Amino acid sequence: MSTQDDDGPTVELADGVEHQVAMVMDLNKCIGCQSCTVACKTLWTEGGGREYMYWNNVETKPGKGYPRNWEEKGGGFESAEQADKEDTHGERQVGELPSQEDWGRPWEFNHEEIFYDGSDESLKPQGRSPEWGPNWDEDQGAGEYPNSYYFYLPRICNHCTHPSCAEACPRKALYKREEDGIVLVDQERCRGYRYCVEGCPYNKVHFNVMKKKSEKCIFCYPRKEGEGPDDEVRPPACASECPPQLRLVGFLDDEDGPIYKLVEEYEVALRLHPEFHTEPNVYYIPPFAPPQHTENGETVDVERIPRPYLEELFGEQVHDALDTIERHRDRVRRGQDSELMELLTTKDMAKQYRLEVFE
Amino acid sequence: MSERSSAADGRRSLVAVAVALTLVTVAAVVPALVGARPANEVPVTELPDADDSLSEPTGDAWERTPAKEIALASAPSGAPNANDTSIESVSVRAAYTDERLFVRLSWDDPSRDGNVSPANATPQVNSFADAAAVQLPADAGANPGIAMGSDRTPVNVWYWSGATGGQELLAGGPGTTTPIGSVGSNASYEDGRWHVVYARNRTADAENRTSFDGDEDVRVAFAVWNGNNSERAGQKAVSEWQYLALGPGPEGPPYETILWAVAGLAIAAVVVATVVGVRRT
Repeated sequence: MSTQDDDGPTVELADGVEHQVAMVMDLNKCIGCQSCTVACKTLWTEGGGREYMYWNNVETKPGKGYPRNWEEKGGGFESAEQADKEDTHGERQVGELPSQEDWGRPWEFNHEEIFYDGSDESLKPQGRSPEWGPNWDEDQGAGEYPNSYYFYLPRICNHCTHPSCAEACPRKALYKREEDGIVLVDQERCRGYRYCVEGCPYNKVHFNVMKKKSEKCIFCYPRKEGEGPDDEVRPPACASECPPQLRLVGFLDDEDGPIYKLVEEYEVALRLHPEFHTEPNVYYIPPFAPPQHTENGETVDVERIPRPYLEELFGEQVHDALDTIERHRDRVRRGQDSELMELLTTKDMAKQYRLEVFE
Repeated sequence: MSERSSAADGRRSLVAVAVALTLVTVAAVVPALVGARPANEVPVTELPDADDSLSEPTGDAWERTPAKEIALASAPSGAPNANDTSIESVSVRAAYTDERLFVRLSWDDPSRDGNVSPANATPQVNSFADAAAVQLPADAGANPGIAMGSDRTPVNVWYWSGATGGQELLAGGPGTTTPIGSVGSNASYEDGRWHVVYARNRTADAENRTSFDGDEDVRVAFAVWNGNNSERAGQKAVSEWQYLALGPGPEGPPYETILWAVAGLAIAAVVVATVVGVRRT
């Protein structure tokens, strides 16, 4: 990833991109409250064909996610080995277009009748009975009592270094911004072909049936650019509205920033499904859980979340990452200093959100 | 030889001459009308007062125009599943009035895909609309590449989709289509068959819009997408270049007429010789 030269360490960015905006999410802090989901939804995707869209969603893992079984729908790029290359990825893979049922239909509720018309019906979705929706399998997880387990996985567009959505579009309607690597859909050029939707292995591009265009997470770029009413630079709404403040936002190539340190130096912030080879710029601190218990409630020295499952999600690097964090936790327990633990537990907003370093 | 038989002989000779003359005429004229018409011609009928009827996809006026069945094949394209197309031919009719040019495309498609009325289901995020397009050189006299033209020789595309209706596009190569306005369009779906009429003023009112006010043939190509088969973008069934016969007429070169006339006379001579020969034996 990083290379050392005379000018100090550098990070590989996409061609033509000056800086790369990035986010680190600490999965150990996520409580599944969906505040980020609601913050994003009310800001960007209310109505107008966006009813079913969640540019930010939180799903329970293990679980089928949103859209249902997105991890099995293909997209992204084949690996370097598959392509018989040494250090880069291979051909773009064509994925599957999720159905409306996979995303979940927007539900209409009988609010009007109950709140204004005096109906004594119970509040429930109207029309066809829902069969699936975002986070339908919330908190189900896997494993048997007393060692069942789950954790939450918040997801936004990864603003990949090598976005397969952009490559999939025959019109080049999706592009990576030069100044910060944010991936956007040019609404003028988009003609609703949806190759981007099936090309993104994370299924983070949506199709608006009313506007007949693709739409996606914009990393709240107007907030990042200080275009709010008070002209202040603000982090994405999903980050700033998060009650446990699990997200760090900044630039991957800001070598004094926490993201660079977590990703490049300590290598504890990992890419989700690196085998898709799109090189996401949203990173995750992998989750820990209490150790397993016996039927009698005695603690045994066995990890609750199976490592093979975490490896499936975050690749082989997850072992080193978990070990590194564990080592630093020990240091803090012993009363020693740990920069890593400080980075992961800071409440200093200026450290959490470093968006003005390159202005 | 009796008087009676000589009168009968006279009638036979007259019949033989009449047959011979008919053959000469047919041999000389019919090939000029039919055989000499090049394979890629789309005939255009002048119907000065039929504006309203031609605007209707199944208007009566369309029965006064000849149909041209045009074979379609998957477009060479980088789109995934580019070879998976399902519409094999399109029937094209064309007509003009003083003001406007009309082109009607008809094709069989057992599934109707497009905007559905509110009584039916809402459109799905993974469903695609049926669509069809007419491609023309932006400059009527030009000869652009078949695949959406190029920078130097752009094309106009009249695009109709079951979801959005008609659009006029300008393109200078694949992936470059840009809307430049709307083209009149009207569609009907009956008995598993689409009929789509495109209508536009013959005179172009802007640059890069095909004009049909000259008396020259204009190149034209067609594309059809079957939404039910997820066809969109480069995954489409397309024709080769055809031309709208707006020029002075489909006359073959003069020597062709002369040759056919000679052939006709030769046939006639053989017929007469045979009749005379039979009569004498």
